[in-house]
Formats: sequence, C-alpha cells, structure tokens
Amino acid sequence: MAATIRLSVPGTLRYRDLAVRIVAEAARLVSCSAQRAPNDPLDHDVRDPFDTAVVSAFSEIFNNVAIHAYKRAGGGTIEIAITPNDRELVIEVKDHGSPFDIDEVAPLPSELDADALPEGGMGIHIAKTMLDEVTYEAGPPNLWRLCKRLPGGARASTRV
Amino acid sequence: MPAPAFEVQRSSDSTKLNVRGSLDINTAAQLGEEIDRIVVDKPTLVVVDLSGLDLIDSSGVAALVKLYKGVRSSGGNVTISGARDQPLAIFKLLRMDKVFNL
Repeated sequence: MAATIRLSVPGTLRYRDLAVRIVAEAARLVSCSAQRAPNDPLDHDVRDPFDTAVVSAFSEIFNNVAIHAYKRAGGGTIEIAITPNDRELVIEVKDHGSPFDIDEVAPLPSELDADALPEGGMGIHIAKTMLDEVTYEAGPPNLWRLCKRLPGGARASTRV
Repeated sequence: MPAPAFEVQRSSDSTKLNVRGSLDINTAAQLGEEIDRIVVDKPTLVVVDLSGLDLIDSSGVAALVKLYKGVRSSGGNVTISGARDQPLAIFKLLRMDKVFNL
C-alpha cells in the first residue's frame, strides 16, 4: 500500500480549489501524465483522461459535501485521504455534517435534446460515470470512497 | 484556481462571450449575472468561445445551459465552440456535445 496523503480543510467552498489542486497532483502520480507545455495558454494541467476523471469527480463530491452536508455554512471539516497506488487512486472524503440521500439523485434524461437539458443534478452523475467505484456511507461521519483505475492495467500514456 | 475571466462583445448581429479559466461552483454565479444581462437583451445570436476554459463542473455547465435555454426561448440561437480537454469530456459525458454541436 502506498503512503496516504491526508488533508483536512474547513467544510466550505473556499477551500475547494486547494483540495482540487492537491487531488490533481495526486492523480498525476498515478497517471504519470506530462506537464503542460509552457507555451500552452491554459493554466491547468488536466488533459489526461485519468486526471480528468479524478479531478472532475472529486470536484463534484467536494461541492456536494460543502452544499449538502454543511449547507454552505461550514462549521465542520472535510477530511480527505488520498492513496495513490501503482494502477489506481483511492480517495476517501469524510465529513461530519448532514447525511446525503444518494438514492434521491435523479438519473439524467434518457433522451437529451435542447429542451431537456438539465440545469442541475449532474454532479453525482459525473462522479459515478467518471470513476470505477463511488460508494457512500451515511454517518456521522459520512464517508465517500472514490476509486479510479488505469485502463488495461497500464499506466496512462504520457502526453506533452 | 483562477476566477473565470469572461468578456462580452455586443454587435448589431451577435453577442460574443469568451470564457476562460475555471467555471465552477465558486465562479459560475459571476458569469450567471452576465448571462442574465445577455438573455434580457434577447440577442438573435450568441457565440460562446470556450477555447480558454480550463475546467468546468456541473455548476458551470448549468450556467451555460441557462444561457442556451434563455436565448433560445426568445427566438435566438447559441453556438458553442472551442471546448477541449476536461470541459469537452464533461460535455460528452453529459451528452451535451451533440446538442451544442461541439
């Protein structure tokens, strides 16, 4: 088992970007994705499919905790444990706020046209679809466990 | 993450919206205010350029959907282009890439 990176932040959206940046770097430890070229105009280095999946999913879970568990008011902490292994990244997100009813999340419409575009309820769908495993245990403490594996048991291709 | 920088250029035949940076739950509200102003103007065409967009989350997507629906509801049209990397992956996952012709 690789060393686990632990981070505890106040349960507000103010600390979201900090947590996302750390998770993005942890994803790169597994994917071995290359740094963005210095002349690339974009600031962030989230292009590799593995990094994209991890960052996208974790961002939505952090949003969910800050909004639903802590009601946008903070008052508790979000404890994040990131374990980068050779071929997978496991992230546990623990909070001490209100439990979230994951079964109440409506699926996306099966037929998506211009009139049916959803304006909400997409976050959990993004996390579940992007990752190999998403589990939630209602507490307290509430615990999200996220897992993303490299495809085919190999490291992701290195991109420049 | 940097705040989303966005700029709006209005002309007689279209409104151009360029979005850069990270469009997420912390920043989408800012853009939402601008989107409200755009929709109120009832433009015939809104051209959205996402080539400078680094990251997006479901709140950012919701903001763009609000723009898309709002402009179309008053008879206008919206074109969205330039999405790449993580933002494009999100649009594809949500199956919005075909609706937006990305």
